[in-house]
Amino acid sequence: MFNQIGAVTMINLRSIPQRAGLSLATIISIALVTGVLLGFLAMSNGFRATLQGTGSESVAVMLRAGSQAELNSGLSSDQVRLIEEAPGIARDAEGAPLVSGELFVIVDGIKRSSQTEANLPLRGVGTQALALRDGFQMVEGRMFEPGTNELVVGAGVIREFSNFDLGETIRLGPNEWVIVGIFSTGGSVFDSEIWADIAVIQNLYNRGTGVQSIRARLTSPEAITELQAYEEGEPRLNLDVQSETDFFAGQAGGTAVLIEIIGWPLAIVMAIGALAGAWNTMYSSVDTRMREIATLRAIGFSGFAAAVGTMVESLVLAAIGGLVGAGATYLVFNGVSASTLGSGFTQVVFSFAVTGGSVLAGMIMAVIIGFFGGLVPAIRSAYVPLLTVHRSE
Amino acid sequence: MNDLTLIRKNLFRKKLRAILLTLSILIAFLIFGVLGAFYSVWSSGGALAADNRLITVNRINFTVSMPYAYWNRVAALDGVETVSHASWFGGYYQDPTQFVQTFAVDPETYLEAYAELTMPADQREAFLTTRDCLLVGADLAGQYGWSVGDTIPLLSNIWQKNDGSSSWEFNICAVFDAEDDKVPANYAMFHYDYYNEPLAFNQDQLGWLIINTTDPALNDQVARAVDEMFANSPAETETTTEAAFNEAFANQFGNIALILLFVVGSAFTTILIIVGFTMVTAINERTGEIAVMKTLGFPAPRIFRMVLSESVMLSLFGGLLGLGLAWLMIAAVAPVAAAFLPGLSLPPSVFWVGVGLSVLLGLLTGLVPAINAQRVKIVTALGKQ
Repeated sequence: MFNQIGAVTMINLRSIPQRAGLSLATIISIALVTGVLLGFLAMSNGFRATLQGTGSESVAVMLRAGSQAELNSGLSSDQVRLIEEAPGIARDAEGAPLVSGELFVIVDGIKRSSQTEANLPLRGVGTQALALRDGFQMVEGRMFEPGTNELVVGAGVIREFSNFDLGETIRLGPNEWVIVGIFSTGGSVFDSEIWADIAVIQNLYNRGTGVQSIRARLTSPEAITELQAYEEGEPRLNLDVQSETDFFAGQAGGTAVLIEIIGWPLAIVMAIGALAGAWNTMYSSVDTRMREIATLRAIGFSGFAAAVGTMVESLVLAAIGGLVGAGATYLVFNGVSASTLGSGFTQVVFSFAVTGGSVLAGMIMAVIIGFFGGLVPAIRSAYVPLLTVHRSE
Repeated sequence: MNDLTLIRKNLFRKKLRAILLTLSILIAFLIFGVLGAFYSVWSSGGALAADNRLITVNRINFTVSMPYAYWNRVAALDGVETVSHASWFGGYYQDPTQFVQTFAVDPETYLEAYAELTMPADQREAFLTTRDCLLVGADLAGQYGWSVGDTIPLLSNIWQKNDGSSSWEFNICAVFDAEDDKVPANYAMFHYDYYNEPLAFNQDQLGWLIINTTDPALNDQVARAVDEMFANSPAETETTTEAAFNEAFANQFGNIALILLFVVGSAFTTILIIVGFTMVTAINERTGEIAVMKTLGFPAPRIFRMVLSESVMLSLFGGLLGLGLAWLMIAAVAPVAAAFLPGLSLPPSVFWVGVGLSVLLGLLTGLVPAINAQRVKIVTALGKQ
């Protein structure tokens, strides 16, 4: 029984070169479908990974209640001072609270891909900001000098936007600014930002001493409940307090899910087209081997063995197609940098990520196409009438 | 029996094969039609813009405001017909997730600037004279079940009043729509003064200016004059045509055109390969018959034409089915999608490009088999048997 199946399968596979054209068509069509699916998944995974990779469990982000985004929020310096006295806040070696009031405004950058203006976040930060970003490092140049029109830009900004290279001068409002450094936080959302001294930005935007968000390092991730309780009991504070991890994870949802709900149906519809192609190929494969199959049946091979042979051929073609598609997607798309408008209303730079999970999903889809494409032809090959042996061609 | 009958019989001699090929062609054109319709709405921001309408924003970014006084200063410039202004409210209804696109505007000049917005004369009058009126787009009103006469509070996720509240009470006194379905009616607007007076901060600031020039030819001149007037001030400006502004905003989401091209390209490559190889196989199977036809006196060019017609017919058949299905699907989705993709429909241009592509696909896939068929040698073909 197994010998029979093995023998028929080998005959099928060895004879693929005789049907090179149609077999190649199946492989390429399945590869393209897999490629489209993986392309979309790489986009959504990359975007999600960037946002979910941003933030720390032991950092709390505070915005004005109901404001939802740093851009909309507004807080007074008095509120920053209240948070500095709050319970659960970590302190540095000198005993100063690790609290950073920050300003978040938007400036225009020229997107390399389209040469049009896009929203870039300009964050005004003080000295404590670095203590609240794990993994922050200057890649090139140096940090800005407080009180000057100096900027440092994230590595992602350089990749996706023109005119932000080290040493360049840009205009914001009536003033010229010099880019003195490039920083990286290891691919997080902060890499899509431009940083400058908070006092200078407050002045430029007429914000007085106001800030937009407060970040605070907690003594432990659990201390956030203490901080939240303190906020509730303090009438001068009206804030939304959440961990930085939750803050960014919440922003990943919309865009990443949107990409997936466009990508999946497209891939499935295309898969139906490829399925028709695979079916057609396997149908032709059985058609051209009618006499051969009938002969095998006549000398005692079972119909089941003939069916398995056809099915395996279909699955092998589909699997090759899936692998080719996954491999090509990986080579072409993995690590490709892109940027889109995130829910903070500013550009988020991210890299396409072809993940193991999505390759598996792509391969499963390819094999399903192969299975359904081969099913009817396989059944048909099991019922080839023995008299076909004598059919003259 | 004429050629057409012969072509049709040949096409459907293997019914299953014909159906499968039609299905895969149909799918590719379905994808083409749906994505084409989506893209034409997505990119219509530029096409819908009036050609004499300019947008002036703060040079730093359009989210940064400018002084109220700019409004009157621009109105005095040569070549300016009307100037209006608008400010972003950041509105939501009841819950922060129920986002409502709302602008604080100067009512009279705004409706002059956007003359394509239509509403009954009495409602227009009510909006112009009622201080707390909210003018709501028809799609937005449908989304929340609002109608004229309702009183609703809208909250702002940005602004606060002097009393610390973020809620403005509105009286819906008018609903606007537009002749052209593609003109968005998914937002609302209200009197700038009603919003500005109680503001706790950022009072007397504007979001952006909308300038209608007297003649599109003066656009560049007016834009330059505006930006020069405010150069070296704390709030420098940047003036572009509305079309350019909309296009830049659409580009912020990414290179949508390239992504769609990638998908449609993949879909067409797939069918090109499947149909192409199948046609070659199908004609090879018929070598004997073609030899017989030649023996009967069918000239080679006629056989060439017949094979080519066969593949064009197949491709056109599948293509038209796919475009038809795309049209049905879009018609079904359009009412639901009106709030974020207004006027979604299969434009004639996309339809005809689709028809053209299906003819092209037929010619491409039929060419090699047609040449093969034309070259069939009677002696060798019949000798094979």
